[in-house]
Amino acid sequence: MVEKFEFDSKLKKNLFIMMGVGLLGLIWAFFANGVHDNHSRFWSNILLNTYYFTGMGIFGIFFVSANQLGYSGWITLVKRVYMSLSGFVVVGAVFAAIIVGGVWGGYHNLYEHWSLEANMKELPNVKQAFFNKGFWTARVVIYFTLWILVGKAVISAINAKNIGDQKVYKRSKLMAALWIVVFAVSESFVSWDMVMSQDPHWYSTLFGWYNFASYGCGGFAMAILLVIFLKSRGYLQQVNENHIHDMGKYMFAFSIFWTYLWFSQFMLQWYANLPEDTNYWVKRFDVPTFKFTIFLALTINFAAPLLLFIKRGAKRNLKVAAFIAVLVIFGHYVDFFNMTMFEPNLLPAGQEECCKKGEGKEEKKEAALAGGTVLYAQADAGTAKGTVGKTLVTPEKGSTDANTAEGKSANEAAAQTEGEAKETKSEEAKGGEKVCCAGMGKGECKEHMAACKEGEGKEGEEACGGRQTKASLGLPELLTFVGFLGMFLYMFFNEFSKDSTFNENDPYLKESLRHHVEYA
Amino acid sequence: MGAVKQSNNFVLGLWDHEEVFLHAIEHIRHDGLEIYETLTPFPVHGLENALGYRETRLHTAGFLFGATGTTLALSFMTWVMAFNYPLNFGGKPYWPLPSFIPITFELTVLFSAWGMVLTYCVRNKLIPGYVPRIYEPRTTDDRFALVFDIEGKSAEEIEKIKSLCNGNGAVEVKNRTFKDGE
Repeated sequence: MVEKFEFDSKLKKNLFIMMGVGLLGLIWAFFANGVHDNHSRFWSNILLNTYYFTGMGIFGIFFVSANQLGYSGWITLVKRVYMSLSGFVVVGAVFAAIIVGGVWGGYHNLYEHWSLEANMKELPNVKQAFFNKGFWTARVVIYFTLWILVGKAVISAINAKNIGDQKVYKRSKLMAALWIVVFAVSESFVSWDMVMSQDPHWYSTLFGWYNFASYGCGGFAMAILLVIFLKSRGYLQQVNENHIHDMGKYMFAFSIFWTYLWFSQFMLQWYANLPEDTNYWVKRFDVPTFKFTIFLALTINFAAPLLLFIKRGAKRNLKVAAFIAVLVIFGHYVDFFNMTMFEPNLLPAGQEECCKKGEGKEEKKEAALAGGTVLYAQADAGTAKGTVGKTLVTPEKGSTDANTAEGKSANEAAAQTEGEAKETKSEEAKGGEKVCCAGMGKGECKEHMAACKEGEGKEGEEACGGRQTKASLGLPELLTFVGFLGMFLYMFFNEFSKDSTFNENDPYLKESLRHHVEYA
Repeated sequence: MGAVKQSNNFVLGLWDHEEVFLHAIEHIRHDGLEIYETLTPFPVHGLENALGYRETRLHTAGFLFGATGTTLALSFMTWVMAFNYPLNFGGKPYWPLPSFIPITFELTVLFSAWGMVLTYCVRNKLIPGYVPRIYEPRTTDDRFALVFDIEGKSAEEIEKIKSLCNGNGAVEVKNRTFKDGE
């Protein structure tokens, strides 16, 4: 009766091939952008994947803990699938150690805004106390230690063979509660430390929640895929479309929850239009790649589940569920890509500046900066009269009344840049090289100009006028993702094969075996 | 209702146990008899399956109501904010889509919820002023009833209905006749 997953050598071989592909991707990313950029593509890829997969892992334990506390029965058959997702956390710790090593070893790609002494001094005092290498390292070590040690204790408490015993069962609930506390705190903190701190001047108070929702979508999607895979291998035959239905409901609900948080973050910052908030969005919308990926993530993570997965029949169809799960996993990869890839791959300050300015450099720079800190600045007169015949408010007056002093200057600045952008474009090519390369070596200048040109070709004035980032959703990213996925699956199967596929002594097993979703 | 003349002659079969009642329905439907109405003192699990009802289309109605709400909210706000009375709020665009989203969401939910409730009530004749026919008072107490329409049926057919009810564990089988307008 006790069934145990057999981690056969063929599967292992396939996963090792995936890992090899990933290694190739990492090596590629290491050299992809030339040596001058300090291998930022390599570091940001490691961070992105480590963060994403570790998040899925710790979320798996969280989900089971929440169900354990809620006396939920349906999940009993697949509890071990969710909990085994956390097998990756150990590997995540290794990669986190590499990231920490990089920060100490002079690779300031990921956290240059505070890992470089000079940059850190620009932060407010309170933030300096928080974002310094020593304290940061201590926190990262604490998170991973807690996850590995407490995670193991929680898993073994819930997997206990004598869980039918009242005392053991109570202990499993206690451990589940402990995990929820540990997870809630560490998950928020790790999102600030590892992702939000890439730009320590920017902050969002619901960033932890937002990342939590992303972990959730990824974890649920991964669990659905793995259960379907295990079923196709002849394991977990008692799991039927009723269980998949409920797992799918969670994935669907978390997709909507993610959108809610994404939008809450975006809308409030858009609405307030404060430069320190909108900074995050303006920078990304400036770069065509990120403008695309932000809307791509929104489409895949919200529109696709909403439209394709809302029907009962879709959730009960294993093929549709697997398809949506793959979409969601990719979608949240893209979402984390938006968060983690931008800052590290940003071209060093000053480099992008030369691309658009041939002459009259100083004024235009100011204008662009002022215009670039707000998400929108209505250049009034023209638009108002163009679209509307019977405006009751005098345009000029209406716009400035409500604005603060900065807002006003931003308005003017935006109008100015708009008008002048066209002229500058033709001139920049000619005068560019001389102005830009002042004080540079010959080789340096060449590289520098090439970087400028690259940005220029992409979307004319927009790319050149704004910031440029080397990040792209290219082949190195894909290969690295495949490699991490292979590692994740390896650790999953490794963890999953340690014990029977489900705890046959769980007091709620019968409920799970009979689980049936009525019309709802 | 309305133009269709309602039947006034019925046969009632009464059961006193849920399980027997469910099996009886299966057998009776198997023999090709049409059940006019089913009355139970409490919701019986699996009854809709036994009666062969198709899945409710209420959620489709809910989606359509929701879509109406979305469209209405978006188009109304667009009309007001961008065309009819454009005001400049802190330099925002005249068509500030992100700030429309929460209201659009609320209206979608509102329309969907109210629409579904009202549709449900209308479809189940729970509208004010409608006086339902009471076939058998004990169906609100301890009896499960099947109602058969016998308008225009021959004595043989009626006899068949009665014998099937009796043969499937009915504790009582009787005629029920209404007057016009009752």
